[in-house]
Amino acid sequence: MKGLLKNNFLTVYANAKVFSIFMFLLGIFVVAVVSQPLLIGYGLLCMVGFSVNASVSMKKEFVSKWGKYKLTLPVKRAAIVKSHFISHLIWLLVGALYAGIVISLSWALHGCPYDNSIDVVSIFALGISVSIFMGAFFFPLFYLGGEERSDIFLLISLVCGIAVVLGIISVLNLYLTPGVITILVSAAILIVCSLLMFALSYPLTVGIYHNKEY
Amino acid sequence: MENILELQQICKTFPKLDFILDKISFSLPYGAILGFVGENGAGKTTTIGCILNTVRKDSGMVKLFGKEMQDIDTDIREKIGVVYDGDNFPGYWTAEQLSQVMEGIYTQWDHALFQKYLEDFHLPVKQKIKNYSRGMTMKLAIAAALSHHPQLLILDEATSGLDPVMRDEMLDVFLEFVQEESHSILLSSHITSDLEKVADYITFIHNGKLIMTVSKNDLVYHYAVMRCKESQFLALDPDDIITYRKRDYQIDVLVADGKEAQRKYKDVVVDHVSVDEIMLLLVKGERV
Repeated sequence: MKGLLKNNFLTVYANAKVFSIFMFLLGIFVVAVVSQPLLIGYGLLCMVGFSVNASVSMKKEFVSKWGKYKLTLPVKRAAIVKSHFISHLIWLLVGALYAGIVISLSWALHGCPYDNSIDVVSIFALGISVSIFMGAFFFPLFYLGGEERSDIFLLISLVCGIAVVLGIISVLNLYLTPGVITILVSAAILIVCSLLMFALSYPLTVGIYHNKEY
Repeated sequence: MENILELQQICKTFPKLDFILDKISFSLPYGAILGFVGENGAGKTTTIGCILNTVRKDSGMVKLFGKEMQDIDTDIREKIGVVYDGDNFPGYWTAEQLSQVMEGIYTQWDHALFQKYLEDFHLPVKQKIKNYSRGMTMKLAIAAALSHHPQLLILDEATSGLDPVMRDEMLDVFLEFVQEESHSILLSSHITSDLEKVADYITFIHNGKLIMTVSKNDLVYHYAVMRCKESQFLALDPDDIITYRKRDYQIDVLVADGKEAQRKYKDVVVDHVSVDEIMLLLVKGERV
């Protein structure tokens, strides 16, 4: 698993470096300028952007014969899939850390950046759940449709991820009255649902990958 | 003799490509090199895919180290080194990074041995693989395939991008590898002269069908081509003819025993035959 994770890291590294620098510079700007929408957008972009980058880089393995070569290594196909799921979560964590640092700095310098301090939980719940839903849709599609269609599958997965999250929020708004508890419960439901979907996506992806020929 | 690799009646159909791999059977003994020869699209890579489980066979059995390899059998794959034609590894890696990845995958990865191969093959450690020449990428792949102490090497056109000098060096590496009795090599190649130098057995495949497996000694000492005129050809015993090919002024006939043919047909010229010529006769020739 260590080698597979290292492989995934190297696959993403070049793009992630550029994105990190961009997000670092954008972060300085966001901290300097007091703007609630900008801070919300930055937080979401960090959490979704790093994992999008990890997913978009997967196709790079198939430019060479590495995607095929990996199957001759002493690793199970399930382990290869698992390594991608873990990498996705790691990059989500990196994005969340970026978002956390910038939001914390803005808070420390300019005071609470949101209408209510509890809103920060919603931002993180939204970003994390969109990213996880996107991964849950993307991985089986990637192995099903092949690397040549990965870009469009990623776009579809992102749109589906956002749609599902908005759908869940709409349903929750129908039944829950606004308040601090509601925000916390909604955030928990979003994250639990996305993780559940992610967990279900894993055996499905493994099943698809098992039947894949290279 | 015990076999490190055994294929029994392997079949695989690609309906969209209208290609069938038809009942391929051969075996590779311990301590031997088997050359796997066939024209482009003959089914060599598909056969190797069936061996390595990158392609799912429709029927038949592949035994590696006496066992059918499933996805779960990582211990078997620990003992196999693979080299594909072309870019085996991502171009954005360096040889050093390749070693780091392999170290986390193979329990037997030998970093020092890998470094030694890099030095021997004059491969820069910190240069990105995409900046390597084709020959260098092949050498890197061979180095990586050898650096986890495998027992079986499966090489799919592994020498194709190398110049004659480097090919010769690689062949020496392969010969050194099979000095150990527990080591074997399956070497698929278009460059039949390489196979003549190192292979103990040669398997011919054409259009998805196995034509024959022959030991190199048989090939060198027994197989021959009779250069016949039309009248001489008509007088031949059909049982002696493996395959024949009509040329402008003669008919080339492949026979399994050149000396016997020379004794039997005294007025016919009998020549030694190269793997190249056998392949041409098997692929383009006609059967009686």
